[in-house]
Amino acid sequence: MTFGRSDYRAVIVGAGIVGLYTAYHLAKAGERRLLIVDRGRLSAGGSGRNGGGVRQQWETRSTIRLAREAVMAYRRFGREFGHNLWFRQGGYLFLAGTAEELERLGRVREAGRAEGLPVRLVDVAEVEGLVDGIAPGTNVGGCYLASDGTLYPYPAVWGLYEAVRGLGVEVAFGVDAFDVRRDERGGIAALKTSAGEARSPTVVNAAGGWSGEFSRRCGLEVPNVATRHEIFATEPMKAFLEPMVVRVSDGLYVSQSMRGELVGGLTVPHRPGTDAGVPSSPRFMSAMAGALLGLLPRLAGLGVLRSWAGFYDDTPDGFPVIGEDPRLAGFVHANGFGGHGFMLAPSASRRVAAAVLHEPLDLDPQEFSPARFLGPGAAPSSERLQLG
Amino acid sequence: MAVAPSRRFRFGRSEVDARPGETILAALARRGWPSLTRSIRYHRPRGPFCGVGHCTGCLVRVNGVPNVRACRREARAGDIVRTENSWPSARVDLLGSLDFLLPHGVDTVHGLRRPSWAAPLYQRIGRRLAGFGRVPDPPTAPTPARSRTVTADVTVVGAGRTGCEVAEAIVRAGARPVVLDRRGAEDLPDAGALPGAELLPGTTASFLNPPGADRRTPFTLLAVDTDARGVLVRSRSVVVATGAYDGALLFEGGDRPGVVTADLALSKVTLPWKETVVVGGGARAKEVVSRLGHDVRAVVAFGEISPELADVAAGLGVLLYPRSRVVRSLGHGHVRGLELARRDGGGAFRLRCRTVVLAHRRLPNSQLAFQAGARRHWVDPPGAYYPEVDDSGRSSVPGMFVVGSAAVPTSRAGPRADRTASAVLGGGGSPGPSDPSAAWPSEIIPYYRELLRERRRGKWVVCPCEDVLLDELEAAVRRGYRGIELGMRYTGVGTGLCQGRYCLPEAILLLSILEGRSPGEVGYVTQRPPLEPAPLAALAALEGELASEGAA
Repeated sequence: MTFGRSDYRAVIVGAGIVGLYTAYHLAKAGERRLLIVDRGRLSAGGSGRNGGGVRQQWETRSTIRLAREAVMAYRRFGREFGHNLWFRQGGYLFLAGTAEELERLGRVREAGRAEGLPVRLVDVAEVEGLVDGIAPGTNVGGCYLASDGTLYPYPAVWGLYEAVRGLGVEVAFGVDAFDVRRDERGGIAALKTSAGEARSPTVVNAAGGWSGEFSRRCGLEVPNVATRHEIFATEPMKAFLEPMVVRVSDGLYVSQSMRGELVGGLTVPHRPGTDAGVPSSPRFMSAMAGALLGLLPRLAGLGVLRSWAGFYDDTPDGFPVIGEDPRLAGFVHANGFGGHGFMLAPSASRRVAAAVLHEPLDLDPQEFSPARFLGPGAAPSSERLQLG
Repeated sequence: MAVAPSRRFRFGRSEVDARPGETILAALARRGWPSLTRSIRYHRPRGPFCGVGHCTGCLVRVNGVPNVRACRREARAGDIVRTENSWPSARVDLLGSLDFLLPHGVDTVHGLRRPSWAAPLYQRIGRRLAGFGRVPDPPTAPTPARSRTVTADVTVVGAGRTGCEVAEAIVRAGARPVVLDRRGAEDLPDAGALPGAELLPGTTASFLNPPGADRRTPFTLLAVDTDARGVLVRSRSVVVATGAYDGALLFEGGDRPGVVTADLALSKVTLPWKETVVVGGGARAKEVVSRLGHDVRAVVAFGEISPELADVAAGLGVLLYPRSRVVRSLGHGHVRGLELARRDGGGAFRLRCRTVVLAHRRLPNSQLAFQAGARRHWVDPPGAYYPEVDDSGRSSVPGMFVVGSAAVPTSRAGPRADRTASAVLGGGGSPGPSDPSAAWPSEIIPYYRELLRERRRGKWVVCPCEDVLLDELEAAVRRGYRGIELGMRYTGVGTGLCQGRYCLPEAILLLSILEGRSPGEVGYVTQRPPLEPAPLAALAALEGELASEGAA
């Protein structure tokens, strides 16, 4: 037994942004007996590998609400946690290449408007004004919201980590969680880890890319799939690009960070699963370079500085999984964010904490409940704006 | 009398003549020390430092493209070269006042968020100041996508002495290697006689992707040539012969113009070397003293000065300061002197000089091997990570060999070329025992420990590319972010344009002292690909070639 207490109110698997925020909300609600275990170190997973985009343009009402709340949380993060995220609200611009894509963006605009967000459809001339030097003929217009933005993920992780530690939450790194021990009533008695057992009636699966693996280790079949995605950053330049630009057709996204680097990604298919680790691939580097040059030809001579990869935790319908698993009392899901964990974490984690405390959730169960994948009426895969 | 054809280019408002084959830096250096750029955060004066295309000391804008390294770019007639990241000029930059206004730097992790109404203002200012050059000018003509694919039995990366010896041995054994080197053909004296090998000069290796676990795919090497063409080399085996480079040294004002590495001092760039102080007491320092001759004023070494170096120095009337510590550089812009202290007691003293050449530590250029997954081990001296290799150079990655000074410290004999060649072509086999690293007494760690103990407050720049200060590393450790992986993310050390080549080796040593544990426990950061900034056009040109590769 290497943990600080003999038993806990809840053990959270994963010290990423979702796990840390969940612990923070629980600790603020008065829970002190909390443990977070993580197989790696701080910022080693998706929370240290994402592109830092935070947007509110979505197709469904509950996601838009979560995203709006998250933007508010990140705006006050500096005051609350004493760390500067450099959250820059330079907008998000979705680019449509065809009339059909533009129509789809029209639905995004409608959904946003219904929630009171000033999402605008922009024409080619406006796009050219927003993206200096964009190649002609690459778009037929787009969809834009000025209050979306980008931030630095690291300070968010540092700030939360220091805050939860200050609230008495125990955080153990280098500890692999491999199963739960069930009690005689079919609930959870303890989490089994490489550092011994941690007694707790509640286990939160916030393991990001490894969450599907962890659920399955606990005997729960889930549809989560880890997919490898890559990003590269160019040499730093003086500021020239305000918004995050996302192309609907191929998922190309790019923004200019506060350091002046262009940071962006593009999906190239890799074999799913976490076995191969997160190496960069030559295929991505060349495909991304080609896509970026197609959009901004003036960058031809600019150097790519570094590239890296991380896992998305994907679900069949592209929605996250939040709430208690109906098959195992005390097993709470906080996963399936599909590459959007960072942008939804502050608000989604509030619901995770509520699920731990058995408080009612204000989320559409069709979109977020783990039950939607179970039984004959399981949720079908659906096409969704899973970009940027 | 025949006059060599000149290549006249424009630098700011003046015209400069370059000789054929000469780099922009070499041409500018003939007129005196050039001021080409300012540092990224505090606009500190900077000058050429490494001379081998890694540091950020000579970034210029050439024909509308920012962040071009003047030491690597050959001057062409009609080039338009400008300085950037400074106003009105790199020599007199009004933003240099930031350096005085922020004597202890700026805390970007916690600072600049109060009052909250001012945060957008801080962001606007910060964003305007960030970055080196301005965005590239729009192209006048579309850039043609040019690429080249080569398939070979063996790829040898590096055409220095060892690389060429191995390539020759491979040719003798009946195979045809491809040999690439980032330097131009005229800078590769050993590659002159390589019949039977395909030589790709001016080709920089960016990314070495090892075969999959099933070994059905070969090694894929992404490279870029001097014409910004993408080069793809596929081979069953790779020999990494990328050599060594001269490391940096931490001291106050160590990032000033005039402080350079031995790589630059021994390059073809002729700077005004008058009144030079050489740091280092071994073979590399002797090389520098022999080359610069009467321009050398003094030799400063952490420990003893080797008898061979002392002999050369005596003939030139060079002052010798063994067992000494470099405390700080003197002057405002360019170095005007050094403050030194005897390590065995006694007060600090000053030495007038115009150039400081760092020749104290040769570090392995083995990043390509680490990137491909080679296991590493700590070797002290020189106090750096080396790939684990057996006596043929075989690494832990099947099919990859590391030889020469990228594999073992320069003071030791590396794998023999014929043995490497037969192991490469023999294939199979498992990695043999690695070279046992003797627990030699370290020189650099005790040195830094003394320096940290006696330092005064001030800007000690650990990472010149990103202007990361020693204070920031200390703050990270104090807050519990231990190890180089977290230290890098917390402070930004090692995330700049040199990919950490100059700051990470020092940061590992400093963290080991600050955290009170061994460098092995502090860890290592594997450089993310590409190893050197690779132009988008060159990478994009390889798209068609790589798209056919299956998901891996």
